[in-house]
Amino acid sequence: MNRSECFEFLTPLINDQLVIGSLSGQRVEWGDRCQHEGNLLVASMGAALGVGIGLAMVLPRRKVIVLESDGSMLLSLYNLPTLGNINPSNLAVFVFDNEVYSGTRISEPSATAGKTDLAGVAQSCGIEHAMTVRDLESFKRESTKALEENVLRFVVCKVDKTTSHRQIERPTEDLWEHKYRFVRYLERTEGKKIFLGRG
Amino acid sequence: MEAELAAKLVGELKETGISFVSYLPETRLSQIVPLLRADPFFMLAPVANESEAVSIAAGASLGGRPAAVYMEGSGIYVGAYNLLVLGRRLGVPMLLLAAYYGSILDKRNSFLYAMPGIHMIPILQSLEIQYEVLDKGDSLEDKIKGAVKMMHAIKQPVALLFTGEFTA
Repeated sequence: MNRSECFEFLTPLINDQLVIGSLSGQRVEWGDRCQHEGNLLVASMGAALGVGIGLAMVLPRRKVIVLESDGSMLLSLYNLPTLGNINPSNLAVFVFDNEVYSGTRISEPSATAGKTDLAGVAQSCGIEHAMTVRDLESFKRESTKALEENVLRFVVCKVDKTTSHRQIERPTEDLWEHKYRFVRYLERTEGKKIFLGRG
Repeated sequence: MEAELAAKLVGELKETGISFVSYLPETRLSQIVPLLRADPFFMLAPVANESEAVSIAAGASLGGRPAAVYMEGSGIYVGAYNLLVLGRRLGVPMLLLAAYYGSILDKRNSFLYAMPGIHMIPILQSLEIQYEVLDKGDSLEDKIKGAVKMMHAIKQPVALLFTGEFTA
């Protein structure tokens, strides 16, 4: 299974969900494939899941999807006990685990190439619906459930090491422009002001 | 911190519209936690690490709830990277409520706390995070109101460092 195939399946299922991305090749691939106004690129390892938890807490009627990577999750394992305790039912977390730090260009193995089982860690933190999928059919089944059901899901997706994202042209939109697009979309669809302060 | 001061602090947060607080409790200001928990106006996120306190508060803020992070001063160090990439680079307003441990007016200061206290303000300055130091309760209202107004104006984190009377 490769990440691109997963995104190809996921993209048509996106309508009004909020999709929070971290870093790595997946932010390039997802941004290229899905130009959804509800995408929020955090662009930093170890931060997307926290942002997703916060959004899910304050917007309980909105489905929030977090796209993480193994390197990013390993950097922020402290999120998992918090996630298990808060247990936001409107949150779906996908960890695309290629078992390497592919951004290094030397593909140094991450801990998940060794003994670390991220779904096992999540389960031990009380996340009941934490699982690992290793083929596209399983991904399709679990991601459909994650988007349709109102229950926290944490899906570790074992994917191939790929470098296809390096062929994709990088966006010119900077993070502030990107943030404002996301915030204005939320303001429009939630019917409330996000940023306060008078001009 | 005396109960009256804790109640005043929580009351001012509410007055300024702060309705989400992620936190890792510590010694000096912890009396605010039961007060926050007792008031349904506040949504709380207890965390395991101040880095995630910052990222969760960022999500809440971007979702439309004015947010604060309550932590010990050490949390500024632990959360520095997320303060930089979420607070400053992405530009997300949040109020940082930090016990200014190890400062000269910290009533519990000791060799354990002095070193991180000495470097606290240089860290905030290097991150270009606006801050105010509070050592007396009588400036609380103005400083919280001003800090919240500032965080909305610049869409960045603003820090309040509590020492003196707040650390008794």
